[in-house]
Amino acid sequence: MISERLPVAPRTSGLQAEAAFKEWMRRFVTGAAELRAFEADEIDAVLDPVTGTAVLLPKAQAALQDSNRLVLGVLDRLPAQICVIDARGTVLIANRAWQSFIAAHAGAGLGIGEGANFLAACKSTGPSERMRAEAVAAAVLRVLAGEGGPVSCDYVCHSHGVHCTFTLGVVGITGDGPAHALVTRENVTEHKRAGEPRGSVRTRARRIAAVAQAGIANRVLATVPTKQYERLLSGLEPVCVTYGDVLYEPGEAMRYVYFPSDCLISLLTVVDGHRAVEVGLVGREGMVGARLALGTGASPVRALVQGTGTALRMSSTRFLREFRRSPVLQRAVFRFIDALMIQVTQTAACNRFHEVEARLARWLLMTQERLSSAEFYLTHEFLADMLGVRRAGVTSAAGALKRKKLIRYKRGSIAILDQQGLEAACCSCYRVVQVMDLEAAA
Amino acid sequence: MIVVMRLYVAGRAPNSLKAIANLESICRRHLKDRYELEIVDVCEHPHRAAAAGILLTPSLTKMSPAPTSTVIGNLSDTSTLLAALGIHAGSVE
Repeated sequence: MISERLPVAPRTSGLQAEAAFKEWMRRFVTGAAELRAFEADEIDAVLDPVTGTAVLLPKAQAALQDSNRLVLGVLDRLPAQICVIDARGTVLIANRAWQSFIAAHAGAGLGIGEGANFLAACKSTGPSERMRAEAVAAAVLRVLAGEGGPVSCDYVCHSHGVHCTFTLGVVGITGDGPAHALVTRENVTEHKRAGEPRGSVRTRARRIAAVAQAGIANRVLATVPTKQYERLLSGLEPVCVTYGDVLYEPGEAMRYVYFPSDCLISLLTVVDGHRAVEVGLVGREGMVGARLALGTGASPVRALVQGTGTALRMSSTRFLREFRRSPVLQRAVFRFIDALMIQVTQTAACNRFHEVEARLARWLLMTQERLSSAEFYLTHEFLADMLGVRRAGVTSAAGALKRKKLIRYKRGSIAILDQQGLEAACCSCYRVVQVMDLEAAA
Repeated sequence: MIVVMRLYVAGRAPNSLKAIANLESICRRHLKDRYELEIVDVCEHPHRAAAAGILLTPSLTKMSPAPTSTVIGNLSDTSTLLAALGIHAGSVE
């Protein structure tokens, strides 16, 4: 595809045709020095004065084709997923890593092949990905217009049965001709899952200071006496988790436990491999990975970050060691597990018996309490997954709450306007869960 | 005095690569750090070649100091190149 951008000389075959071609090009050459260089075979290209393009001589053309093949071969051998997009958004080159990902994941994560239009793919993503896809498309357009430098954006994919986080890099390739964009895609799901702040270096002192500060916010850790907490500090690490990150998938070994400080984690039960419904919500009142305390190492649910924020993370091995030696931590963890079980069973009953509007009100109040914020970002599709209903059901329920002036809903951003009114609108399950939360915290 | 040059090439075509290697060798030997060289790929920037009246590639133009001069070909003829750059043959600076 690189060769497409080079002017293609008339097709030649054999020495005779090559000589004829040279003779044709010779007509453009005037002057003694020019003729000498031309006759000595020292010329690679002649500028066609009519079209203003450089026409390559046969040997140069063959050499550049070899060079292009080499470049494509090198691109194919790179582990990074790379594609080149032309000014209209068409994918001109997609390297082997890019194509392998498409084959393995059925086009998830803007996975389109050569000849398809990248910008169109950004527009046709599902609602849960649309805002990020639009941001990627905007970055590509800016780069193609020569208005922006290299851009890097995170892209969370929850479609086609794939739950991955990518970092998409966009950089412009400019020349006299139309601009092109080079897009790289790196699967950073593992980094994100591990919560690793890539590329950042923290000193131990700063880390411990951050941990000490964040630990107070988490109610499970807050119950641990100061002396024991000081011992825990060396095993705790502050991590930033982002909306859409997956901490565990069902059946996956839990490598870390997480104590949310100001983030919110949804626990989702996955049915038929792709449909998911929320069964629990964990914020700073609890922890993710508490099942380890019951002697099970694998997660039964998907732990999905609902609200961006920070958490303290500890390796599972260390957690189990600390858990065994601290009766206080044991009590705190068991109290949380008990509260979570109540929440899970109540949610199951609620999903079966209560109206979507009341469930939505309950869910919004629970989210608000755990995030300590009256405004948060959620799409209808995401809410539909959380409540186990169709998207239309969420739209209708959100519309009803909005008409009662209990919430404001605009472009995915939800704000609670009337706390008491929303409490009145929600089902009895909210009170049950709230009482259990308070008891667990006591 | 700084010698300012522009070399027009056609990507990584054989004569273009030779011209770059030959010119850099001469510059290292005779001009050390007293030169500025811009390499223009005519496949990427055909308009720049057209604007400068460059018909054949590779072509080297010396823009300063005056007088300006042009050498066409892969620059394997050292004496022609030195004369065009205003460097006396045999002088190693």
